[in-house]
This record gives sequence, C-alpha cells and structure tokens, in this order.
Amino acid sequence: MANQETQKLDNIIASRRAMLLGGGAALAALAVPSVAKAATTVSTYTDADILNFALNLEYLEANFYYEAAFGTNIFTSNSASTAAGAAVLGITGSGTQGSVTVKSNAQVPFADPRVKSYAIETANEEGKHVTFLRTALGSGAVAMPAINLTASFNTLANTAGIAPAFDPFASDANFLVGAYIFEDVGVTAYKGAAPLISTSSQGKTYLQAAAGILAVEAYHAGLIRTTINNLDPTGALGYIEMTRKVSALRAMLSKAVAPTSPAYPTTTYGDDVPLTPGTQTVSLAGGSAVTATTIADADQTNYIAFSRNTTQVLNIVTGGGAATTGTKATGLFFPSGLNGTFV
Amino acid sequence: MEYPTSISISAFTRRKFLAGAGTAAAATMIAGCSGGTLNLPSVSSFTDADVLNFALNLEYLEAEVYLRAATGSGLSSADAGSGAGTVTGGAKIAGLTAAQQNFLNEVAYAEQEHVRFLRSALGSAAVSRPTIDITAGFTGTVTAANSISNSSLPAIPTSFNPFGNFDSFMVAAEGLEDTGVTAYNGAAPLISPAGISAGYLASAAGILAVEAYHAGYLRSSLIGNAIVQGTTAYPYPLYANRIAALRQALSGATTETQLAGFQSSASTVANVQTGTVVPADTNAIAYARNTDQVLHIVYGTFSASGSSTTPSAGVSKGGFFPNGLNGNIKVTQS
Repeated sequence: MANQETQKLDNIIASRRAMLLGGGAALAALAVPSVAKAATTVSTYTDADILNFALNLEYLEANFYYEAAFGTNIFTSNSASTAAGAAVLGITGSGTQGSVTVKSNAQVPFADPRVKSYAIETANEEGKHVTFLRTALGSGAVAMPAINLTASFNTLANTAGIAPAFDPFASDANFLVGAYIFEDVGVTAYKGAAPLISTSSQGKTYLQAAAGILAVEAYHAGLIRTTINNLDPTGALGYIEMTRKVSALRAMLSKAVAPTSPAYPTTTYGDDVPLTPGTQTVSLAGGSAVTATTIADADQTNYIAFSRNTTQVLNIVTGGGAATTGTKATGLFFPSGLNGTFV
Repeated sequence: MEYPTSISISAFTRRKFLAGAGTAAAATMIAGCSGGTLNLPSVSSFTDADVLNFALNLEYLEAEVYLRAATGSGLSSADAGSGAGTVTGGAKIAGLTAAQQNFLNEVAYAEQEHVRFLRSALGSAAVSRPTIDITAGFTGTVTAANSISNSSLPAIPTSFNPFGNFDSFMVAAEGLEDTGVTAYNGAAPLISPAGISAGYLASAAGILAVEAYHAGYLRSSLIGNAIVQGTTAYPYPLYANRIAALRQALSGATTETQLAGFQSSASTVANVQTGTVVPADTNAIAYARNTDQVLHIVYGTFSASGSSTTPSAGVSKGGFFPNGLNGNIKVTQS
C-alpha cells in the first residue's frame, strides 16, 4: 500500500496519542500523576507479559460479577454459583496472591429478571476468560492479587462527584453502574494490547484470542450501556449522570489529569464517551444533524473504539497509582498492585 | 519471562485461512502441553489492502441498511466512490420511539464513518460501492432460514419485513452485526507486520469493538424483551435464531450462539434463565469467520436439499451482492 495511505493512518494515530498523553494539572483527591509515563515500547516485553496483564484485569472483573451474581468470590463455590454452573477458578501463580475484600453476602437483590440473567451470564463469561488465560499461560500465570470491592467504589464515587459512598451490590441499577466502570476499560485495554502482540505463529494465536475477548468485552459493555440507557432514557433518574461522571474520571485518570468535581465535561470527552441519551449530534448523509445515542464508547470522529496503553489502564484501576516510573502502582481496586511485569 | 508452552498451534496458515479451510476457530484451541509449530507461509495470498477492501464492502452494506432505516436514504455519492453500484431496498422505519430513532442514528453514523475511514485509509486503492440489493438479501435469507427443518423454532412469517417495525429490524440487523464481528475477528491475524505498524490492526480492532457494542444492544434488547414478555407474545428472538441457524449452516462450522434466557411466558426473578447476549465459544471468546464463510453468508449460498447446505468454491455473487463484492476477495475458494 502506498506511503501516502499509511501516512494518513499514522497521522490519525499520532494525533490520538498526543491527545491521550495530554498535559497534566494539579493533583486532587486521588494520587494522579502530573504526567503519564510514556508508553512502553513493543520490544521490552513478551506476549506472556501482555496476557498476564489481561489476567489481572479478568481476576477483577470475574470477582466483581461472581460477587454480584452469586455472593461469592471466584475460588469459593456456594449454592448460587453451583446452581448457575459457574466454575470454581484457580487463583495461584507467580507473584503475591491476595484476597478479595467485599461486603458480606454481596449478591445483588435483583428485582429485574433481565438484570439477573445478564449478571449470571457475564459472571460465567468473565470466569471463562480467567480460565482461558491461566490455561494459555500455564505455569507462567500470575496469581490473583489482592482485590478491593468496597473502599474502591467509595473512593471512586466520591472523587467522581457521585456520592460519598457507593455500593455497587445494593440494587439492579447500582450493579449496572458498577459494571459500567469495568467493561469499557477492558475494551480499551485489549485494543491497546492487540498491536503489541508478537507476529510469530504463536503470537497470531494469541492475537486471535485477544480479539475474540475484546469482542466479548464490547458485547458486555454494549449490554450494560443499553440497559442503563433503557432504565433511565431521559436521565431523570440520575444514572446517566453517574455514567458521565465515571467516564469523565476514567478519561482524566487515563491522561493523568487531576479530577475535579463535578468531573465531567459537556462537549468533549477525551478517550471516554459516556451515555448521552439524545444529546449527541451526528450528521448523516444527505440530511441535517440529528440526535443519537452513544451505546458504543468510541471516538466520535470516526467511530473507532479507543486504545489505552498499560500505564493508562493502571492509572484507572489503581486510581492514578502509576505515578512514578519504577514504582509499583497500588490503590483503588488493587490495593497491593498487580502481579506480573506491567505493574 | 518465557513464552507459555501450553497453547498448541493448529495447522493455521494465512493461506489456509483465506482459502477457507473452515477451521478458523481452531486457531485458538488449547490442546495439551505441546509447543507450537511455525507454519506460516512466506507469501500472503492477499495484501492488507485486499483485506481492508473486503471489510469496506461489508461496511457499505451495513451503512446502506442503517442509513435507510434511520433516514430513508443511503450514502452520499461522495462516500460511494466513482462508478458505484446501485442500491435496492430499505426504507425509513415508521413508528419509532425517540430512543429507537436515536439508536438507529448512532449506528447509521458509525457505519457511515467506518466507510469514510476505510476509504481514506485505502486512498486510491479503495473499491467503490458494489451493487447492493437489500430486498433480495433479506428475502433470500428468510426463505432459506425457513427451509431449514427445526421443529423448535417457528417459521418466520411471510409478512416479515425488516423495515416494517423496529423489532423486525433488530432481527435482521443482529445478523449483520454479528457477522461483522466474526469477519473482523477473522481478519485481525491476517494483517501484516507492516500493516500492524501502520495502525491497521488497531483500527480493525476498534471497528470490531464498535460492531460488538451495537450487536450487544441488539441481542440484549431481543433477549430482554422476551424475558419480560415471553416468546408467545414476543417471538422475534426465535426468528433471529432461525436466521442464525442458517448462518451456521452457511459457515460449515460452529460460529453461532443462539439467543437464549427467555421462555414462552414472561420470566420472573425466581425462574429467569442465564442469557446469551454474547455469542462465543466455550472459552467465552467470540467466534472468527474466514472470508469464505462471510462470503457464503452475504451471498446467501444455500441449496435447500435435505435442509442442509454444502458451501463450495467458485461462488462469486448473490444475496445482498447480485454482482459480487468489489476487490480481490470476492470468489469463494471453498
């Protein structure tokens, strides 16, 4: 293909990267770094390192959904998990194995059968991702790090300007907002990682799997965003506003800008587009501008989903913990940090 | 850190993949502890531009379907390329709620922007829009789907019109979106190292994600409506499953997860079943389709003899594309 054509793509990518790594500001409630670490170069890690980074995130997601759907963690069965056919998952491996901090009997008191059905499905699928990655990595798999599902949500909600405390297991709607926090991040993390996977034969196999998991995360995210949109179509119930604040906080953590409260922009969204029922304006062929939903979390200029590098993802899941190069990122959902190379 | 050794590389080569061995999903199979064997060909059958143009053909189809459903008209001539083929069928859906209209606007815009993005990336190498027959594509799909013997699924009514109401449209569109996801998923490992450096893989992955977001809307809506109402009152997911069974037959391999989680009557919190919003394999990894499998689906290659199909080499047109796709990937090799 001609250089001119590849140059166009290079320019798009370069401009997006510049946007993502935009300048910082003063710090606030979370320990946000003033400048994000530069993206690590491709040559400095292996495919296994990338898969292990993903495994850390899958441990987090799987535990969240197991607790919400069944009221137990991924390595302990109970009657609800057994009834749903959810597997007991392995959590051993290299690094420091941790525990899951969560309120007692976290199972969501489901009122809507749809939300319950979705929760069980998603728990099962995230659990399978854990097993798949652990099997692929074999003896190279990292252990489940310490995971916090209580103070993490309180801190995040407080910083985002939602509420002083937030229990994602309290109701159908709270569960959906809690899930909203994770799935879009998974999409951007897998998308960011895909081009880093080696082009060896084995790497191609990993890439196929990573693309397939990326798709599943996006299906989940589409499901969550659709359900919240249907629950609160006009925003009158306040849940749309919560997603706007979550998205704004993620975007700020991602580019290492200090969060403010209320932390959401009204016109530009950085690398995170919240639910905006009927307020996004798009221009369709042959017609004037019309309003549109934002079911997909994607770049509004070309409708391609965002990428995040490992530092950006670390900053989100640890609340800006990746502040100093060479220092392990800790905080928020991972109070002791992640296991593996990308920490 | 060493490479893990527990993934066995199946006989997965780019040439074989593109030639339509029907075993694309086998690429991600985990089998024992044997190490991988390198089996990549030194020369690719198709270039990155061929693969992107293949995707562009599919985006033309999706854009025309969604734009017409949302507004009643299709792509602007500037977005269709010089000498673009005609488009038949599709109409603005009547009786939409504001939320439904906004969703259609979003997806129409997304598909339009995907067309523009791919055309821009390909530059002068971009193919123009091929001739598209939306009416024949959907009519043929419904007819073929109904010819498959399946006593557990009701026949799709002869009055079924994808543009007749929003629920019918979701049935038709769900198939297009899921096909798009599997097509991009199948194409991802075909992109060359140079193409990866140029950003093609990241872009393809980002488009794949958006297709899956939108497919997630459609599948969760179809399933959710049936959970609340029961399929006696809301049979649309069963129609979608009939069409999914056809795609499965045309693909010649397990590439579908039927919609589930609902019952004939309304579900309650006490008796609701696990859903299948996500179509994926036993590892919860989305399916991939090779180019032949995708071509057979959009060409509607189906000979209803014994309620089965035998996709074969040499199919060059049909269904949504009466004159075939434009570009180098247009004739099935298996």
